[in-house]
Amino acid sequence: MSGSAAATRVYFREAIARALSEEMARDPALVLFGQDIGRFGGAYREFTGLFERYGAQRVRDTPVAEAAMIGVGVGAAAAGLRALVSITYMDFLMLGLDPLVNYAAKARYKTGGQLRVPLVVKATAGARGQGVAHSQCIEAWLMSVPGLVVVAPATAADAYGLLKSALRHDGPVLFVDHKRLYPTAGELPAEETLVPFGRARIARGGSDVTIAAHAYTVRVALAAAEELAREGVDCEVIDLRSLAPLDVDTLVMSVARTGALVTVEEGQATCGVGVEVAARVREARDGEPFRVARVAALPAPVSSNPVLEAACLPDAARVGAAVRALLS
Amino acid sequence: MLYQLAVPGPIDDVEELRVLEWHVAPGQSFAAGDLVVELETHKAVVEVRAARAGILRSVLAPAGDWQRLGRPLAIVGDDSDEPLPAQADDLAAMLVEFEVT
Repeated sequence: MSGSAAATRVYFREAIARALSEEMARDPALVLFGQDIGRFGGAYREFTGLFERYGAQRVRDTPVAEAAMIGVGVGAAAAGLRALVSITYMDFLMLGLDPLVNYAAKARYKTGGQLRVPLVVKATAGARGQGVAHSQCIEAWLMSVPGLVVVAPATAADAYGLLKSALRHDGPVLFVDHKRLYPTAGELPAEETLVPFGRARIARGGSDVTIAAHAYTVRVALAAAEELAREGVDCEVIDLRSLAPLDVDTLVMSVARTGALVTVEEGQATCGVGVEVAARVREARDGEPFRVARVAALPAPVSSNPVLEAACLPDAARVGAAVRALLS
Repeated sequence: MLYQLAVPGPIDDVEELRVLEWHVAPGQSFAAGDLVVELETHKAVVEVRAARAGILRSVLAPAGDWQRLGRPLAIVGDDSDEPLPAQADDLAAMLVEFEVT
């Protein structure tokens, strides 16, 4: 089970900690803000070792005040620092939308390029037994903000590579880390490998149907693809990685071969990632027909009752059923 | 008789984990209750203690290696001269006690 000589196997949190540590060493202007990210090392241990190495000036514990945290991050970035603000539950990103959307994302446009806001907001998304206000995936809300990049890795290598790209970008980036990915591990290449924005990854090649997913739902889609393969259905699974900008070319090329598209997300179907994916592919396909289905959370709050939580979320069985219905 | 020492479980959310430190060396004997190996999950350490006495014959997953739940980490035995099989998969599992901290 050990990795090859060229790669190291790491936990998802270790990929994030490594990217942060390397970028802090590279850029002395990079400052981190978050709840319990200092000596405690972060809610998911993803800040482990940074406080000890870079100190309290650069790894700053904040109060539970998300609007102020993001506001301070925007101001610090606009004033010449580079900031990462960690939001432990994406649900509370809502409190910081004004500084993020109205200031960070618009500053460059508003000032004719004189002001840049190199800010990363890392927001931990997803349901894992914590109820209605600690479980949501609202990344689709942010995809429509001009000036804001939105990325959502599914693997340790992409968490590392996308976070490094985000920490070198000169505008605001929303980095979505799904909490169910934290127990997972993956290979990190031996050499530093940045992942560019707007580039999807084909997680599994196939010819019968294209499944587009991001973050934790990539694992759900791959599990469904395994089951469907036993029935003779060959699924292509595309890990979007970057939601804004979206890699429409990769999606279009896949759908041109399969003629069928299933989108999977843990957020809501209405105005969700899948709507945008399907519409963009439709526009690019220039009227050529393809079948489409969306799989998402049910239109209900996510319960802290584990039975109701599981019922609400997309799982491999629901993805499999959607694929079968689409192809029948 | 030979046994396999496998990754114990279930552990919440964990499918695979990393070997942190062996506390018994190959060829060394251990008593019931001894700490044999520590494993590292994404956020916790798993102490694996022997539920019976034995001898650690062969380590299959040294510190830093990864292994999935239920898969073998080492071969243990009642004595030190029984020939070792090529792989541990067919061996009975040795009973362990484990604590996640």
